[in-house]
Amino acid sequence: MEVLSHYGPALCVKFFNGYVYTGYGPFIQVYDYHTGDLKNQCRIFETNKVHGVTFSNSGMALCYGSKSTSLMPLGELSKRSSLVEYERRIGEWIISAEFNYDNNGFFLLTCYNRVLSFDLLGNLIRKSAVYGEKSLLYSGSIKVVSSCKTYVNAGTVMGGIIIWDLFSESIVANLLGHSGSIFYVTMNNDGTLVTSCSDDRSVRLWDLKSQTELSVGWGHTARIWNLLFFNNDSRIISVSEDCTCRIWAVEDNKLLQMAIYEVHLSKNVWGVDVNEQDQIAITSGNDGRLKLIELQPISDSQQVFTLQEISTQSCMIFGKEEIIKGFHWFAFGLIAITSMGKVLKFDDNEGRWEFVLQSDLFTSYSVTNGITNANIVIFSNNKCDLLILKLDPCNGRIIDRQEMHINELSKTQNCMVCRHNSIQDCFLITLESPNPHDPFLCLKFDINTLQLENKYSFIKPVNFSSSCLEVYDSFLLVGSRFSTLAIFNFNNVEQEPYVFRRLTPGDTTTSIHFVEYSQNKHVFAVTNRDGYYTFIGANLDSVEFNGSLKCEVIHDNKISRGFLEGAIFEDSGDLITFGFKSELFYIYNESQCYEIASLVCGGAHRQWKFSRTPDGFILIYIRASSIYFAKIGVSALPRTLRCGTHGREIRDISILKDRKYKNGYLFCTASEDTTIKLCHIEEATGNISTFWTLRKHVSGLQRCKIINDKFMISSSAREELFLWQITTDCNSKPYVTLRQSLPIFCDNPDLRIMDFAVKFVETDAQGFLLATVYSDSAIKLWRYNHQESKFHLLLDGRYESCCLLNVSLFSLDDQLYIMITATNGCLVVYNITDLSNGGDLAPFPDVDCSIRTHQSGIHALDIAVDNTGHSVTAYTGGDDNGLGICYFHLDKFTNRLTPKIKDFQRNAASSTITSCKLLEGREQLLTTSVDQVLRRWSVAGDKLVLEEQRYTSIADTGSLDVVENLLVVGGVGLSVMKNEHH
Amino acid sequence: MGKSSKDKRDLYYRKAKEQGYRARSAFKLLQLNEEFHFLDDPELKRVVDLCAAPGSWSQVLSRKLFPESADQNEIEDRQIVAVDLQSMSPIDHVTTIQADITHPKTLQRIMEQFGNHQADLVCSDGAPDVTGLHDLDEYVQQQLIMSALQLTVCVLKKGGIFIAKIFRGRDIDLIYAQLGYLFDHVTCAKPRSSRGSSLEAFIVCQGYNPPLDWQPRLDANTSVAEFFQDCHAASYDVAHESRQIAPFMACGSLDSFDSDATY
Ligand SMILES: C[S@@+](CC[C@H](N)C(=O)[O-])C[C@H]1O[C@@H](n2cnc3c(N)ncnc32)[C@H](O)[C@@H]1O
Repeated sequence: MEVLSHYGPALCVKFFNGYVYTGYGPFIQVYDYHTGDLKNQCRIFETNKVHGVTFSNSGMALCYGSKSTSLMPLGELSKRSSLVEYERRIGEWIISAEFNYDNNGFFLLTCYNRVLSFDLLGNLIRKSAVYGEKSLLYSGSIKVVSSCKTYVNAGTVMGGIIIWDLFSESIVANLLGHSGSIFYVTMNNDGTLVTSCSDDRSVRLWDLKSQTELSVGWGHTARIWNLLFFNNDSRIISVSEDCTCRIWAVEDNKLLQMAIYEVHLSKNVWGVDVNEQDQIAITSGNDGRLKLIELQPISDSQQVFTLQEISTQSCMIFGKEEIIKGFHWFAFGLIAITSMGKVLKFDDNEGRWEFVLQSDLFTSYSVTNGITNANIVIFSNNKCDLLILKLDPCNGRIIDRQEMHINELSKTQNCMVCRHNSIQDCFLITLESPNPHDPFLCLKFDINTLQLENKYSFIKPVNFSSSCLEVYDSFLLVGSRFSTLAIFNFNNVEQEPYVFRRLTPGDTTTSIHFVEYSQNKHVFAVTNRDGYYTFIGANLDSVEFNGSLKCEVIHDNKISRGFLEGAIFEDSGDLITFGFKSELFYIYNESQCYEIASLVCGGAHRQWKFSRTPDGFILIYIRASSIYFAKIGVSALPRTLRCGTHGREIRDISILKDRKYKNGYLFCTASEDTTIKLCHIEEATGNISTFWTLRKHVSGLQRCKIINDKFMISSSAREELFLWQITTDCNSKPYVTLRQSLPIFCDNPDLRIMDFAVKFVETDAQGFLLATVYSDSAIKLWRYNHQESKFHLLLDGRYESCCLLNVSLFSLDDQLYIMITATNGCLVVYNITDLSNGGDLAPFPDVDCSIRTHQSGIHALDIAVDNTGHSVTAYTGGDDNGLGICYFHLDKFTNRLTPKIKDFQRNAASSTITSCKLLEGREQLLTTSVDQVLRRWSVAGDKLVLEEQRYTSIADTGSLDVVENLLVVGGVGLSVMKNEHH
Repeated sequence: MGKSSKDKRDLYYRKAKEQGYRARSAFKLLQLNEEFHFLDDPELKRVVDLCAAPGSWSQVLSRKLFPESADQNEIEDRQIVAVDLQSMSPIDHVTTIQADITHPKTLQRIMEQFGNHQADLVCSDGAPDVTGLHDLDEYVQQQLIMSALQLTVCVLKKGGIFIAKIFRGRDIDLIYAQLGYLFDHVTCAKPRSSRGSSLEAFIVCQGYNPPLDWQPRLDANTSVAEFFQDCHAASYDVAHESRQIAPFMACGSLDSFDSDATY
């Protein structure tokens, strides 16, 4: 078993000589942070994780982690794939390591507040400590100030910081003020200031000489893990359990919070470093993400103009109540209109406002739209007037104009504009009247001449209030309030539009985008203000062909929080969402789950427009009647060096095995963090990429299984079980949508669906059987019908009162069985043959047979029906470290099963066995256990023989799936391994 | 280890409230006793309860050693000392000390309580604040156990019992091996009141029997590792890291509540 790829806790990060070095599990990874390329991955320790790395000016690197340390030439770190031969172990946990002043030796600080000094050959030169202070440290650092001054900064568990002089072994300061454990403490360059962070959520600044607390920085909302000084000690950067990284200014010995960046998915953010030259920071955490942050505050590129300033510059006098009503951004700058119909231009090059024209038609009410890449701006009012201006792309001067009145409508309440994306030279304007009997009007214009080319009077659906547009071929897609979408056909205006109501729970549809065309499906992405987004697959070709439209939701999901105002697709295919959350406007990479930017704008209730610019994004908004331009540049640097995976334990892994996807396999992971990720493994490299993070569950996941090439099921607490449909035949990416959820019977939030099993019955092409087992000992059997998309409850019973852990469905001869495992160590089988056929709810049958194989909970179960079809073998692993093979034989005469334990290894692991998987051919069994050892057993002849065991650096090892010779192992992290013996 | 809302729904939590225990942990000790009967020994006199706050183990000990029915003679030389970082509200017949058990000075304070006598039982339910840095959490837990063990070897009588909370993560087999040098029997016990989904379990070490040639010597300036240096218990050198699996024992009868179940 060889590790192909690994994703999981990154405990430290460091910039050095143009590269980023990170302790990634037992490896050091070296990245070129300008390109994002992983230059090398080198194994440093056999089993321990790399907790820290430091470099000398003489070309050496020093790594440490747990009780291991390793000193090596830096060059080798970037070249070799393993340097475990350099690993040395000492008797105590190492908290920090540093080279000495002359770089001819190094110091290790251990958790017993002792420093071991070594020469470069690894000889222990000296042990130093201060007398009587041997209690355990959580954190600490060594500060080499000069050849004769080196401080040890020790953070104790009881709230105090002890600073001692390494060479004189005397206490310099005992800094008291924090409450709770100190998680990090470090010093500035000349060793005069100390900064620390703790359990108590504060960052503190101390003066060493006077031993006084200079300032306390509050802001983080949870424990703070790490921090350091930068920019000549004028700044501090800190990372916390609140998933943020914050910048603090050190001014006049006071701490001032300057910036907040949301950087990680889960609370364990361990590493932070800053590159002062490039002004970038990097953070790392349990989610395995390496996040780069540009430290230039976004507000630097924000401009504000008050009405007074605009008035002065444009030499216009504004009325008392006059405000800015609408605007649109172009390459040259902005076109805006006031409530008195004054059209103004802001030239971005010159930074000046100019008056353009005034039109009384657009006083009090106007709507402004624009086509950025054609430099056209369109104003409309509620009296059916339109003003279209074509502008010079360089300076924004008017080069053409078109004014018109629309007679078809009595009044207009909304106007929208869209450029046709397949017919070159035209754009469309839609107009909607408040009168429900008026048509929904669409005008087609020539983009060069601004001439009206066609008018389409579409039948307006009832209860329709347009909010966004997309045009594709001869179809116009219009979003509306109440999460409604209508599709109009330009080739058949008489035809009733196709209307989809309540795509999502119900707020206004905020955007529609054409995404791709594959396998007779036109895929559109639809966003909704309530935070939901949907992808719909519609076969528009069929409309042309026979007038019918096949259309279905193929993907749906909800953003993590806030209002969703729209989406953008990046060239990489990543989905970027944007909108408001409380006082902020956010831009978020939804595919990779990280924030691109967020800025304080005061919240959702204001005039605003967000658009893409050649070099990034721009948000224009009005706040207190001033206009703000916030430009968000797209960094030349990658935003992450590695995206990582779940930040918390992965409880289940399931691979779609029937069919390859691209050059590998699709698989899903279900985590304690309440999300399911749909991912891809590349077969050759083991590289993992994430397509989607599904947020439907509200509590930590128990199970997730891909049951065939179309469906996936997941379960969790609150009695949640969801059936998901996976679409794998589109070109760009797979899609997943919630098909159905299992009915809920009780309101106890703690009731967990611990496991489920599915059986496709040959005689039933329309559905499948589903067995579910619960934490309150309930067992239920359901039949799912595809046509109705419904679960019917067939059997409802209860085992005892203990928690059930696993379930399997299988048949022997023509008999159907449910097998369960429980926390009392029993394997129990029910014969459900006669009960699953009827349509009505039947009472649960008595136990067919039961056998106690383990002392307590059986956490792992895999079964195989033997070739004869008369018996089944169950493989079980438990809390009691045991692994067993139990055989159940069907007795022809009594029609009952007789169980028999074939083999049982009491000490199969040194702690709970969490999963087991039988390999193809049924000769071998893989197990994972909490002792972090992966074991492969031969089970030939029903004997358990250990063939191979391998330590994994994944803590809380709990899940496993196998396809061909690829193993995917999950826990706090994810590893892909290759199983050579097969 | 804060009380989450999950704890409050827990049956053991309710049962603890009913029976006047300060924490559901009381049942862990009671269930360990159901299997090992260390509290039923009439010779049990002196007990140290390490990491004892809020004090439910001490309550169990107090009720066992000082039953209301007992006459004065019987209980005369019985004694319970409880130690924790946190302060504890008083419990009848229990002497509480607020101290860090990893601190060498703490031992002196405990010894002072006992005078020249030795303890019959030392138990420790200690758990550090969990950070989420798995290997550090497991290491700190191990250090807590080793500190408890360090105190134990200085106060425990030959043949005495040591009980401590463990996390059954990686390297737990190292701890088992070390304890094997000092006790006749080492068992890994999991009470049914301890959630199956947690790494928590307890080592029950019976028959204290240190190597004959080893004299524990406590010095404020030696670390735990050094303390055990001469005893085989601390074979820290990787070359000699021996691993062993202690037999597993589920405790509490099968009809006791299942802490993983929803009721
Ligand atoms: C699970 S609680 C003990 C519950 C207790 N057995 C009861 O039944 O009420 C764990 C305790 O360990 C204590 N602890 C952790 N580290 C300690 C240390 N170094 N010294 C003393 N107590 C410590 C904590 O303060 C906490 O009260």
